[in-house]
Amino acid sequence: MSADTFDIQAVSPPNARHAVHGLREDDVAAGVGGNEFVLEVNDFSVDYGVGANMVRAVNDVSLNLRRSKVLGVAGESGSGKSTLVYAMTRLLRAPGVISGGNVTLTFADREDEKAFTTLNLVTATEKELRKIRWTHVSVVLQSALSALDPVLRVGREFDEVLKTHRPDMTKAQRRQRAAELLTMVGLDDDRLSRFPHEISGGQRQRIMIALALALNPDLVIMDEPTTALDVVTQREIIGELSDLRSRFGFAMIFITHDLSLLVELADEIVVMYAGEIVEHAGAGELYEAPRHPYTLGLLNSFPPLHGPRRELTGIPGSPPDLSDLPAGCNFYPRCPFKMSRCEHEAPTLTAIDGSDRSVACWLHSPDSPVPVPVELSRTAHPTRDPVTSSEERP
Amino acid sequence: MSEAATATAQLSARGLTRHYTTRVPGRFLHSKRVVRAVDDVSLDLFEGHVTAVVGESGSGKSVLARMLARIVTPTSGELILEGATVPVRSRRTLDYAAKVQLVLQDPYASINPVHRIRHSLERPLLIHGAKKDDVETLASAALSRVSLDPPERFLDRYPHELSGGQLQRVSIARALCVKPDVLLADEPISMLDVSVRLGILNLLRGLCDDEHLAILYITHDIASARYIADETIVMYAGQVVERSRGTALVDEPTHPYTQLLISSVPDPSDPTSQDPNRTAHATFAVADVGCRFAPRCPFAMDVCRKDDPPDFMVGEGHSSHCWLHASEPEAAVEVAPPRRRREGEPTTT
Repeated sequence: MSADTFDIQAVSPPNARHAVHGLREDDVAAGVGGNEFVLEVNDFSVDYGVGANMVRAVNDVSLNLRRSKVLGVAGESGSGKSTLVYAMTRLLRAPGVISGGNVTLTFADREDEKAFTTLNLVTATEKELRKIRWTHVSVVLQSALSALDPVLRVGREFDEVLKTHRPDMTKAQRRQRAAELLTMVGLDDDRLSRFPHEISGGQRQRIMIALALALNPDLVIMDEPTTALDVVTQREIIGELSDLRSRFGFAMIFITHDLSLLVELADEIVVMYAGEIVEHAGAGELYEAPRHPYTLGLLNSFPPLHGPRRELTGIPGSPPDLSDLPAGCNFYPRCPFKMSRCEHEAPTLTAIDGSDRSVACWLHSPDSPVPVPVELSRTAHPTRDPVTSSEERP
Repeated sequence: MSEAATATAQLSARGLTRHYTTRVPGRFLHSKRVVRAVDDVSLDLFEGHVTAVVGESGSGKSVLARMLARIVTPTSGELILEGATVPVRSRRTLDYAAKVQLVLQDPYASINPVHRIRHSLERPLLIHGAKKDDVETLASAALSRVSLDPPERFLDRYPHELSGGQLQRVSIARALCVKPDVLLADEPISMLDVSVRLGILNLLRGLCDDEHLAILYITHDIASARYIADETIVMYAGQVVERSRGTALVDEPTHPYTQLLISSVPDPSDPTSQDPNRTAHATFAVADVGCRFAPRCPFAMDVCRKDDPPDFMVGEGHSSHCWLHASEPEAAVEVAPPRRRREGEPTTT
C-alpha cells in the first residue's frame, strides 16, 4: 500500500511533474501548502470523437474542491456534467477523449495521516489509477440496478472490494466490515445474502453508497444518485449522506439536474450549460441571488409549494445541440435578456467584483450597455431569512 | 364533491380495485399472499379539470391509470364513461380507446424508434378510421396543438433526432390525434429535464382550459400537482388517503402521509422542511390490519392498528383517511397541525 512504490511523488518538495504539465504557479503553491484542496481541475476539456465530427462535451472547465466540502454540479442532460466527472476520474471510454487540462488529486496517506500525496489523474498510468480508485476516489452511479451484478448476492460485492483492496483482511473480518457498512447506511445485515432484484430501489442505492464508503475514500462522486427514486426515498438518502459526511469527512461531488436539492446539500454549486460552467457560487448565494439568466431560469422551473398559484414560464426552447452551437453565447437562443453582443461573442467565466463567485455573462461585464436586470442583481442576505427572501422573489 | 352534482363526469371510477396474488415460498408449502395494489378507489374526471394523483412508488397510482385506460382488468369496481357503465370485464373496444388515451412516463420507450414520427401519429389515425388522404393534415394539426411548429419539420424525423421534451410532446400529440375526451398522463414529466418540465405542464393545463379535456395527472412530485391540478388525490398503498379541491391539500395537509410527502420536496426557502420530529418513517411499510400507514405514522394510536379509518371531511371538498380527524371523543387526540399554513394565504385558487 505504500504510495511511493507507484511513482506517485510526495507533495513536498514541489516536483517536476507540475512543471511539465503546466500547472500555474499559484496552484503549485496551494499544493505545497498540503491539503487544502482534494481535487483541482484546470482548463479541462473533453471531446467525443476526433476530426470533423468531433463534439466538445466539456470546454475549458476549472474548479477546485476543498477537503470535506460538497460541490454540486447542476445542468440538464447534455450539459456535460456526467462527462466531466467520468473524464476527471479517467472512467470515460472511447470515443470520449480528454483533449486538454489537468486534474490533480491530493490524498492522505493511509499509514500517516499527515502526509499528503498528489497525482495528476490525466497522466496517471492504469497501475496508479488502480491504487487510488475506490481507496481514495469512489463513484456512486445513477442506476443501482445496473451497477450491481444481478447474479451476485450483495455480500459478494462487498467481499470482492475488500479482498482486492485490503488483501490482509480475513474472510470473517470482511464479512463483519460489510455488515458494519450496511448498518451505517441504515440497513439490516440480512441484506448481504440477498440478490439485487429482491431489494427495493432505495435500498439498492444505499448499498451503492455503503460500497462507495467501504474504504473511507477522500472523495466520493455521486452521479444523480437519487434521480430514479421518488421524493420520500430521496429525502431519506440525502439525510443519510449529510450524516455520513459529517461523520467521515469525505469530500463529495454531487451531480444532479435538481437545483433545489443541491441548494440544500452543497457548499458550492457550479451550473453547467453546453459543456461550460456558466456560474459558480456558494449554494445560498446562488439560490437567493442568481447572476446568470440560465440559473435564474432553472430556479424558476420548480413550481413552489406555497404562495399563490401563478403561471411559470421556465426556460423557453430546448437544450442546445452540441454539434451545432451558436456563434456567441451558447445560451443566446433561449436567453430573455439577450443583447446584440451575445450573438457574436462568447462570454468567459469571470469573477464578479468584490466576491468569490463568477459568472459567464456579458450583462455583468463593466462595459455592458444595459444595466443588470433586477432579477439578476439581487443581493444575498448575509444572515439568511428564507421566508422573507422567498416573498421578495418577483 | 359539490361540483359532481352539477356537472356529469367524463369518466368516473367507482370502487376500483385490483389485487394481485403472489406466491410466498415456504419451507414445505408455498403460501399465497394478496397484494392490494389498488383498493376501492373512486374518482371523477370532469371536462376542463385536471385531477392529480400523488404517491410514491408502489402506491398503486400507475395501476389505477392503467385500469382507467382498460389495459389492466380490475378485480372489482366499475367505470362510467359519459354516464354509461363500461363492461370492465370484457376487452377494451376501439370506441373506448378513442375516448380515453394514456400518455406514458418514458417517451424514449413509448415511441417506436425505427419509424419516423409520421408513422407514430398516422397509425392511430388509420386504426380509428381516418381517411388516407386526411391523415397527414390531421397529424400536422396534432403536432401544432402541442406547439411543435412547424409540423413539417418534425413529421419526417426519427425519434432519436428529437429531445426528450419534444418526444413527450409527440407522445401527447399521438394521444390527442384521435380526439379523446379524457387524457391520462402517467408521470409525464419525471423523465424530462427540469427546464422543459414546465413547458409540458403548461401544455397540459392549456389543453384542459382551451379544449376542455379531462386530464388525470399522475406524479410523485406534489409541488407540480399543486401547480396544475383542480383536484388532488394522495394515494398510499392502493388507498386514497387524502383528497381536496384546489391547493388546500398542499397548503393545509391533514394526513400524516401527505405531510411526509410535502416535507420530502427539496425546498431551500423553508428551513423547517427537515424537522425530524414531524416526519414519518420513510421506509415503505404496509399494515394488513387497520390503517395501512400506521407502521410509519408518528401519530399512530391503538385504534389505527385495529381498524381502517373511514374518510373524514376536514373542509369543503377536503377529506382525510385518518383517525386523527374523527369526532368521537376517544379518538379526538390533538390533531397534527398543518405544517405549512401561512397567514393571509388563500387556501384555494
